[in-house]
Amino acid sequence: MKILAATRLGAIGIVLSSASFAQGNLDEMTADALLPLAEAEGEVVVYSFTSRIGRVESAFEEAYPGIDLQGFDISSTEQIARLTAEAQAGVTNADVIYISDTPVVLTALLEAGIISPYVPPRVADRVPAEFQSPLLAQRLSTKVLMYNEEANPDGAPVSNLWELTEDDWRGRVIMVDPLQRGDYLDLMTEIVLRSDEMAEAHEAYFGTAVELDGAANAGERFIMDLFDNDVILVGSTDDVNAAVGVLGQDNPPVGFTSYSDRRDNEDEGWALQVANDVSPAPGIIFPAIVALAAEPNNPAAARLAIDFLMGDESETGGPGLAPFYVAGDYVTRTDIPPHPDAVPLDDFTAWRIDPAQTATIRADVGDLVLTLQ
Amino acid sequence: MANAAMSAQGGRVFFKQGAVLKAVVLVLLIALIVLPLLRTVLFTLEPENLRAWSDVLTGRLSKNLFYKPLTNTLIIGVVVATFCILIGGFLAWLVVMTNVPYRKLIGVMATLPFMIPSFAAALAWGTLFRNDRLGGQAGFLQGAGLDVPDWLAWGMVPTLIVLTLHYFSLAFTIIAAALATVNSDLVEAAQIAGAKGRRILMGIILPVTTPALVAAGSLCFAGAVSNFATPALLGLPVRMQTLSTRLFGMIEVGQVSRGYVIGILLVLISAAFLWAGNRIVSGRRSYATITGKGGRAKRFDLRSARWPLFAVAMVILMASTGVPVIVLTASSFAPSSADLFANWTTHFWIGESRPDFAQGTAGIVHNPDILRALWVTLSLGLAVAFAGMVVGLLAAYTAARYREGWMSAAITQVSFLPLLVPGIAFGAAYIAYLGAPIGPLPALYGTFALLVIAGTAYLLPFSVQTGRAVIQQVGGELEESARITGAGFVRRLAAITVPLAIRGLAAGGILIFVKIVRDLSLVVLLFTPTMPVLSVVAYRYASEGFTQFANAITVVILLISITASLIAQRLQTKSQPWLET
Repeated sequence: MKILAATRLGAIGIVLSSASFAQGNLDEMTADALLPLAEAEGEVVVYSFTSRIGRVESAFEEAYPGIDLQGFDISSTEQIARLTAEAQAGVTNADVIYISDTPVVLTALLEAGIISPYVPPRVADRVPAEFQSPLLAQRLSTKVLMYNEEANPDGAPVSNLWELTEDDWRGRVIMVDPLQRGDYLDLMTEIVLRSDEMAEAHEAYFGTAVELDGAANAGERFIMDLFDNDVILVGSTDDVNAAVGVLGQDNPPVGFTSYSDRRDNEDEGWALQVANDVSPAPGIIFPAIVALAAEPNNPAAARLAIDFLMGDESETGGPGLAPFYVAGDYVTRTDIPPHPDAVPLDDFTAWRIDPAQTATIRADVGDLVLTLQ
Repeated sequence: MANAAMSAQGGRVFFKQGAVLKAVVLVLLIALIVLPLLRTVLFTLEPENLRAWSDVLTGRLSKNLFYKPLTNTLIIGVVVATFCILIGGFLAWLVVMTNVPYRKLIGVMATLPFMIPSFAAALAWGTLFRNDRLGGQAGFLQGAGLDVPDWLAWGMVPTLIVLTLHYFSLAFTIIAAALATVNSDLVEAAQIAGAKGRRILMGIILPVTTPALVAAGSLCFAGAVSNFATPALLGLPVRMQTLSTRLFGMIEVGQVSRGYVIGILLVLISAAFLWAGNRIVSGRRSYATITGKGGRAKRFDLRSARWPLFAVAMVILMASTGVPVIVLTASSFAPSSADLFANWTTHFWIGESRPDFAQGTAGIVHNPDILRALWVTLSLGLAVAFAGMVVGLLAAYTAARYREGWMSAAITQVSFLPLLVPGIAFGAAYIAYLGAPIGPLPALYGTFALLVIAGTAYLLPFSVQTGRAVIQQVGGELEESARITGAGFVRRLAAITVPLAIRGLAAGGILIFVKIVRDLSLVVLLFTPTMPVLSVVAYRYASEGFTQFANAITVVILLISITASLIAQRLQTKSQPWLET
């Protein structure tokens, strides 16, 4: 009996160690080496925070006909709730997680051991270190002040964020409720974190130092004034886009939304444009993360899919990157040229968020916003 | 209590038999409803989450987090319930008891608004009344040169109107089923005695339909206070928050414990209101109106008021059904949501995938995801309707037949609980409850079974409440005589109660089918990618800005719902003599 048990234990040990060896090995493999393993797995499930996964799906299946990529469009906030529930249930549905909301992802998913990092070795030397750790960023996305280009042919109607707290813009600034969408809470948080810049901008615009009057800092003062000035809250970025962007308006509002939504101007009849020159900054720029499930069902195909999402060796990254190679999205790979129609990243004045720092005061800023509603 | 004491002698045998049944039903309801909710409560009592209680109730945030939303919620609940009973009761009276023209048409149309997802009506309101507060495209009326004030475009007033136009058909269904069973003997006796219509209404019809009126009011109240989509769409631009939008927001930004606390308080508040309603009903001894004899009474003659009342009914019905349906349908053909009636295309219905159109998404008949979702949705609707009616009938029967004792009060209260829980919170509770394995039972996360169980539990109030209103009216003496001749419990149920109460049960079944088919809030967390349902697919398209696909799917949901109810009505025709002319 004892011998049998010992043999069994040994066998289990061997299986376990070879599994972990294989895991480690997979991380080093090239796409060519992953392909036969991935084909044996036959499928890969991707949770994506953007609908553009639909185009990735057809491109991936064209490139790798033997593997069925199932892409599901699920908002970041919901992905976090879903992945957490799945982890509690001991179920793994997704192999690949494509998500924003990094401040929450770091604690709720990465530290909780629900997802794990992976950087395809092929592109490791072409993505800056800051975008590889703790998780790989595929591109940078935005929540910035946008205006209606048709009604304002000479450029943005606003040059300083503090203008939005004045009577001219009363009831004419639109954004998504920061208590319903994490990206917008991140934006509010960044404004507080950048209080010094907000204070300078106040001085530059009004010529006087900011009077805090109950606020802890200039950032909080701005948020309080913005809400006092009847900022309009809506449920989704598309509501912001439509309100700000629709053609044929005499006196359109301005609003905080995604720069890359400008790509839909033609389809939707919008005239969205970014107010890049507004000081101190038009908003935030933040990473879109790709990661593996901690224990993916299809480990090889999952890595292959991430490799594909990082783009191929053609000039603009080929079909895997095509849905994201649009004006307003900034691909992290250094060898991909910036999109010609967009403000170059170096000239783009939006604040780069530091997810770890955002996480420290995010809940407090949420409470502040709560007291203002 | 006094009643129980008085009947203690005669009711001993009765009580014992009821006790077994009551215990079985109660255990079932506890497993389905109480345990998942209890998990949520325990979660907020864990040390690291305990602070959420003081944040919500007493802290500096409490005013915005709880008290202001609470006020709005209560206003919505009371006003909507009141108007639902008035409108639903008025229409039910017209259809069942009077000679108003086109009664059948009114009867069918009055059940439709409930089949339209409430967010569709809210969107339609926006299309018509939206003003320039939001910028963007103005609504129809503003476009026609009218100046729409903020109070009519956003916030409380439109929320009240849209919710009333949505929930009144629930009140109609319940009240009509009850009115249809009013014993003609009573009415005829009154008529012979020379009572006028008004007196018959106040003296006979209102009193015997009290359980139905209270049930209808309670359901509308509970539905209105936990509705999320309408206040979210119409209230947010003027920052009007209700407890359900607050709850959703808190869960969305990851402050789950605060969200759960708000959800628990919402449950408690609604429970207080329902408890009061329940007291009113159980204070009376008997509502038996279907007895072993009796026929149809003469219809009340409206005379010259026939056509004016018909016109009033049609205005209400067109506003609640016609307008949203037209807007949804038009928008499923219009490439630009900015111009509903121009450049129509059928791409969103039958188009093949084209890379330059809607990110390559194929029209809904070519879309495998949507077809699979359609199949899952239909199966789910049937399974939940069936399971719901079985459990609901048991609970309603038990609560109505063995009214005394704490257990039957508990059955009534517990079966009502899910109504007070916003769907999204109920879904979250169920994931925590059945998502992980319990002992030898496997984890149900992502299975069809989880959707069915959660759906059945969530919609139990509807099956129990409709069943209850009808069963209370089936005279106990019929069953009594069956019992004397030796028929067992199952036999009595199958041979007497079910056939007599079939109308109410079928109405409940339809409600459940339709409600689960178009439900969003419950399934939005429970669904998994491998188990898609139509409403979630529609919601995803809507949130991606593919309004046309979303509306096309909504039209499909609408067609399924309308077909379901028409089939059910056809099946019921034989037992609906009041509709024959």
